[in-house]
Amino acid sequence: MNRLAFLSLYRSFARQRAVTALNILGLAVGVAVFLVLALYVRFETSFERWLPDHEQVYVVQTVWDTPGSPHNGPYNDTMGGLLDQLRQDFPGTIGTRILGGENGGIVRQGQVSVTDDVAMVDARFPALFDLPMVRGAVAGVLDQPDAVLISRAAARRYFGSGDPIGQMLTISVFAAQNYRVAGVFEDLPANSDLKLSLLIRLPGDIGRTNPNWYHWGSTSLPTFLRFPSRAAARDYAAALPAFVDRRGRADLGDGASDMVALALLPLTDLHLQPEGSASASARLTLIALGLVGLLTLLIALVNYVNLATARASLRAREVAMRKVLGADRAAIIKQFLGEAVLTVALATLAGLILAELGLPLINAASGLALTIPYAIIAPALVGLIGVTGLLAGSYPALLLSGYRPAAVLASSRAPGGGRAGARIREGLVVFQFALVIALLIGTTVLVSQTRHMRSADVGFQREGLLTVLSTRDSLVAPAQKRAFMARLRALPSVRAAAFANSTVGGSGERNADTVALPGVPGSGPSLVWESVGPDFFTVYGTRLLAGRVFDSARAGDDGTNRAPDATINIVINRQAVRRLGFATARDAVGKTIGGARPLTIIGVVDDMRFYSPREPLEPTYYRYAADPAELLTTVASVRFSGDPRAALRSISDLWQSIVPQVPFDAQTADARLTEFYRADDRATRLFAIGAGLAVLIGCVGLWGLASFNTARRVKEIGIRKSLGASSGDVVTLLIGQFLRPVLLANLIAWPLAYLVLRTWLAGFSDRIALSPLYFLGGSLLAIAIAVLTVLGQSLRASRTTPAWALRHD
Amino acid sequence: MIALEKIERRYLSEEVETTALADIDLTVAKGEFLAIMGPSGCGKSTLLNLLGTIDRPTAGRYLFDAADLAGLQEKALAKFRAAMLGFVFQSFNLIDELTIAENIALALTYRRDVTGKKERVAAAMDTVGIAHRARHFPHQLSGGQQQRAAIARAIVGDPKLILADEPTGNLDTANGEQVMNILAALNEAGSTIVMVTHSPSHADRALRRIDMLDGRIVASAARAI
Repeated sequence: MNRLAFLSLYRSFARQRAVTALNILGLAVGVAVFLVLALYVRFETSFERWLPDHEQVYVVQTVWDTPGSPHNGPYNDTMGGLLDQLRQDFPGTIGTRILGGENGGIVRQGQVSVTDDVAMVDARFPALFDLPMVRGAVAGVLDQPDAVLISRAAARRYFGSGDPIGQMLTISVFAAQNYRVAGVFEDLPANSDLKLSLLIRLPGDIGRTNPNWYHWGSTSLPTFLRFPSRAAARDYAAALPAFVDRRGRADLGDGASDMVALALLPLTDLHLQPEGSASASARLTLIALGLVGLLTLLIALVNYVNLATARASLRAREVAMRKVLGADRAAIIKQFLGEAVLTVALATLAGLILAELGLPLINAASGLALTIPYAIIAPALVGLIGVTGLLAGSYPALLLSGYRPAAVLASSRAPGGGRAGARIREGLVVFQFALVIALLIGTTVLVSQTRHMRSADVGFQREGLLTVLSTRDSLVAPAQKRAFMARLRALPSVRAAAFANSTVGGSGERNADTVALPGVPGSGPSLVWESVGPDFFTVYGTRLLAGRVFDSARAGDDGTNRAPDATINIVINRQAVRRLGFATARDAVGKTIGGARPLTIIGVVDDMRFYSPREPLEPTYYRYAADPAELLTTVASVRFSGDPRAALRSISDLWQSIVPQVPFDAQTADARLTEFYRADDRATRLFAIGAGLAVLIGCVGLWGLASFNTARRVKEIGIRKSLGASSGDVVTLLIGQFLRPVLLANLIAWPLAYLVLRTWLAGFSDRIALSPLYFLGGSLLAIAIAVLTVLGQSLRASRTTPAWALRHD
Repeated sequence: MIALEKIERRYLSEEVETTALADIDLTVAKGEFLAIMGPSGCGKSTLLNLLGTIDRPTAGRYLFDAADLAGLQEKALAKFRAAMLGFVFQSFNLIDELTIAENIALALTYRRDVTGKKERVAAAMDTVGIAHRARHFPHQLSGGQQQRAAIARAIVGDPKLILADEPTGNLDTANGEQVMNILAALNEAGSTIVMVTHSPSHADRALRRIDMLDGRIVASAARAI
């Protein structure tokens, strides 16, 4: 661009401030939304990439495939002793495992005990996870049974500004033990799913003390392997089925690999491939957000192109004059591309400022801590300016440079690009509003689904319910549990309390079993089973569908300490009625199933959703434990009245008086369920913000285009009015002109939104129906927005006096 | 300097063919001041556009200093216009966002061979008496002043040919006379001028006049000096 072209652009901006501001602001908002969502996508796809040689590390997945089992699918944990057997069968295997992690142990310092992210790891841990050290060296530390490596934050937490090296901490995982701090590692970044604050050595005798350590079928910890190349990992994975058949025969029988497979998942894929059905949705949600960012930028670009071409026609005379003065087509193209790049650069700068200003709000709304990494973003933005500028400027540049000067200068009216130009502009409005309508429909469905998750019937009363998890700690003796439960029930705010190995949000233990059906060959369908203590169903207010629930007065209900072939009374849920093949709940009552391990159904209760709405409800049977304090994993569920904080305080005080060595850990049911909604809430909020801004940009574009078109049709309005058209006729004409592309846009938006939303909703077990009302609502909203956007200008234009309008060029 | 041989210009729009110019033979000598007259729609402006190479003939030859322009590509024609031609329009066609000085300088933007651009602009403005309005924008000037600025823009590159399309059409009598005086002075100083006009009195200021009707030259007459 030469000086005069630059001056001309600058003064054109200054003369048409409102249009320029709209054009630049629209693009700036598009760039800001794109930038923020790109940062989010980058953050979500960057997990564990901070780790040196991360591409060489793989997680061993246990993939279950048992006919009819609710637990089929990949799990990111393995049996504890898997690594030992792999090392024996595949010499040279480099691997490690992490037992614990988030809230994995209790740290006592003086009289204060706190739960912390304690992890037990192998001595080979540093070979895979080369954590950056702040103090001390990692080599050899994890060979020592009494050494602990702590994070910088943990060092600050426990020792303040003092030197942590050589200091002592008492850490309890299985039993309390003293550890000497041997090193401090850097805090793990936010883009890590590894929750590690204190690292201690995995006990060498754990295989002997833990009965499930070498039990095939159990999943207790993640196992990590390292390979020098992708091909090496592939070769290793190919040898695993034979390994499973060989090693798993004792627990799983012949053909173990048909039931359980081992797979290798790159560590960097772990974050976006959580276990269960959430896996597909996590990726889909991220793709959807990335698309919203791209589409918003695209809408803003379409806006820019539309407004630029519309305005370009106003500059046709200038272009013609430049051509008359000797400018060739290339010079005109260069000038307008230069203008576009400059405008996009301005908009990008404004977008960067908007993103910087908006990030704190986005972070607050989404629970993230995104920042703009300028070293990476700056070159990317320069590239974006170049590409976007060329994309946005090429059509106006080609259009303008193609004008024939003789025709332009001979005409009293600036050309608008002819019929083709008008069609292209209308096509772009159709495209833009198709995206806007799709985003509006998407937002409505996302918000409805999120609301549905929060308000849906989960099968129990979620208010006034809390879960005490501290009771599951192995340091708590059964006697302490019994004392706690007895005194808990006596608290004034507590209406009922029960122990079980299950609770809302999960207890950390999930069991499944096959149940043989009478007269049906085979091991039968797989059901989840849970042990519950007295009052469990009372605490949850579970709906009884048929029969009865457990009764402590009936000794026969107690399912503990029974002979293997003794009949056990069970209660099943609604899903189990279907899975077991009964027509109704009433039909199931009184029936005995289970073959050699007979189970008699005494009652049927309604389903209770303890986990994510993405997970399917599981067919479950409950067995009764009259003294659940003896269960391996015992958690307490408490029904309380009044203020939750007061209830928590009184229960915490009670806990501290009985089990002071174990920190109190309790949460309301609502808080636990909210954890499952958090990711979807966050994605919905980001989607809604992005979509809202995309709609706003679309409106800005429509307004600009309407403004341009209305200005061009002033003379036509004068003629129409002089021929007898009323103001209403003129308003109808002008609004109708913009409603046509908006209505056409539905033809693209509806199938697009339907396909994407159907896929997204498929990730939820408990989901809303994809009603046509969402589509109608989205379209009506878009139409209302479009009408409101152009109404003001249409009304103004309709009020012009014909005499004045007829003189207008 | 200019020779048009059997020039034709036909337009085809929506299957309707219109002949704007037919069988045009015309020569313009160096230093000549030619006026083209005729009723609206007779092809005057089309002829001027062809002379200015902003339109192409459908048939015939256009020789400029004996060089045939027919075979030149768009880029070469643009270069030719920048170096050889100066345009003056009825509606001035000044760029609103540029000052008068900048509008005049714009004509030199596409000339790589010209030096001392500032001085040339100043000289052109002096020639038409518009120097005091150098920093003003077009809308701040009267019609006469705008047309004088347009003439300055046309002459700043020292063109071989000045093409004026009804240069007084949008001006009152006094301003029209002023513009004609400038054009006459430029011609006297050696510029070749081809002017389209509706005004017989202004046509009389030219050295030669041709009359057109229905796309053809129907009369040609030199002014008695």
